[in-house]
Amino acid sequence: MTERPGAEPSGRPRVRPAPGLGLIELYDAALPQVYGYLLARCGSAPLAEDLTAETFLAAVAACRSADPPTPSTGWLIGVARHKLVDHWRRAERERRGIRLLDGGPADAHDPWDAELNALLARDVLAALGPHHRAALTLRYMDGLPVPEVAAVLGRTLHATEALLVRARAAFRRAYPAGEGRDD
Amino acid sequence: MTDPLDALRTPVVPVEPDPAFRAELRARLHRALLSPATPPYPTGQKESEMTTEVHPATASRIPTLTPYLAVDDARRALGWYVEALGAIPRGEPIVMPDGRVGHAELGFGEAILMFADEHAELGLLSPRTRGGTSQSLRLETPDPDAVVARAVEHGARLDRPVADSPYGRGGVVTDPFGHRWMISREAPYGEPAEPGEPAEPGRAHGDVGYFTMRTPDDAAARAFYGAVLGWRFTPGRVPRGWQVEGVTPMGGLAGGAERPEVQLCYQVDDIDAAVSRVRAAGGQAEEPQAMRYGRIAECVDDQGERFQVFQP
Repeated sequence: MTERPGAEPSGRPRVRPAPGLGLIELYDAALPQVYGYLLARCGSAPLAEDLTAETFLAAVAACRSADPPTPSTGWLIGVARHKLVDHWRRAERERRGIRLLDGGPADAHDPWDAELNALLARDVLAALGPHHRAALTLRYMDGLPVPEVAAVLGRTLHATEALLVRARAAFRRAYPAGEGRDD
Repeated sequence: MTDPLDALRTPVVPVEPDPAFRAELRARLHRALLSPATPPYPTGQKESEMTTEVHPATASRIPTLTPYLAVDDARRALGWYVEALGAIPRGEPIVMPDGRVGHAELGFGEAILMFADEHAELGLLSPRTRGGTSQSLRLETPDPDAVVARAVEHGARLDRPVADSPYGRGGVVTDPFGHRWMISREAPYGEPAEPGEPAEPGRAHGDVGYFTMRTPDDAAARAFYGAVLGWRFTPGRVPRGWQVEGVTPMGGLAGGAERPEVQLCYQVDDIDAAVSRVRAAGGQAEEPQAMRYGRIAECVDDQGERFQVFQP
């Protein structure tokens, strides 16, 4: 702890460093990372700004909790990932009323040898429903192992595996060069 | 790694956001850091178990009108208002390069008190430098007797002892920094609650009449349960003792315990018979003590759990 000017004599309440002060120090360097992460995944600057703000405000709250984390850019990206998933969860909830079945069960063995155009693939991903988009973003854009995808989504491993299968099927149907495009 | 979807892999590429956004979010973070460590009331909604949800609208909630005092020793005042009046620190004081406290905040229920060290160059002098204050601060509390007693115990000057008036019950003290406090309970309101006193009619033998949360750090516990449950606290009649305002059954918080523990106080029809039954069942019981609210006995059950029995 750094000694502040005018430190109080003993017996008086200590002026403690603000919890979360480290976050302010980290802010300048971490902001473009967090914003860049979110912008690439949600595709909209206003939405990326909203989610960036939510990320840092949640980080402040976490830093002031009883068991504060040590703030780092990597940790902030993790918080941002949760914010992104929350966003898609809200979006999914909003459209659930008008949504039909999401394609039903797909073949778990899913050999697909296509070579994807990365830009086109991202466009296809952006057009998918929120929960498919969330699963594929975490699994493929972020490159998380399936158990970590499950943890971020708050689903069981089994449910996550099933969701990924359905999401891949939806992606494949939507990908223009893909075979068996049926919608 | 032959999965075609691996083509989606996207490392984090930093993108500089709009400078206006950068500045605005920085300001919001500063405000959030100064906002109450304990939101006055639970905000309710929780988005997901995986997330720490902060609602921006509630992250920095300032009442319409807030007193902003000058004091001659802001560091000492911060501790005094917390200890003597049960205030809850909001954020951390801002210390100026010259060592003076430039800004500090305390929460009193839903209200905020802001204060700073004297800044004579701005004409901001404390009552002690000025030779008196021009305003009073009125503090509403369920138990003005206890709060006034505690303030005086901590060095406040008693200007008007606690008394009943058509407007309620209250007294006036001047704190060690020269600020005048009217510590009152608005009429009408029942007699101050006492530990063990039945809060409502109809409590019967075997009911929990009171709970006592014993904790090593009462300030931390107040901050925690204030944040989690929206609890508010009134200073109790013993040092580091606090009444939880408005809960059923009534309860209190006591600091200075070796380890955290919640003790329950059970109402009984016949305390002497109850004490005999405690001992016969393999527990321990002290002799009942007569208190204002009835007779109470400290007990330990046969597995070591401490509790009390009381007879109104």
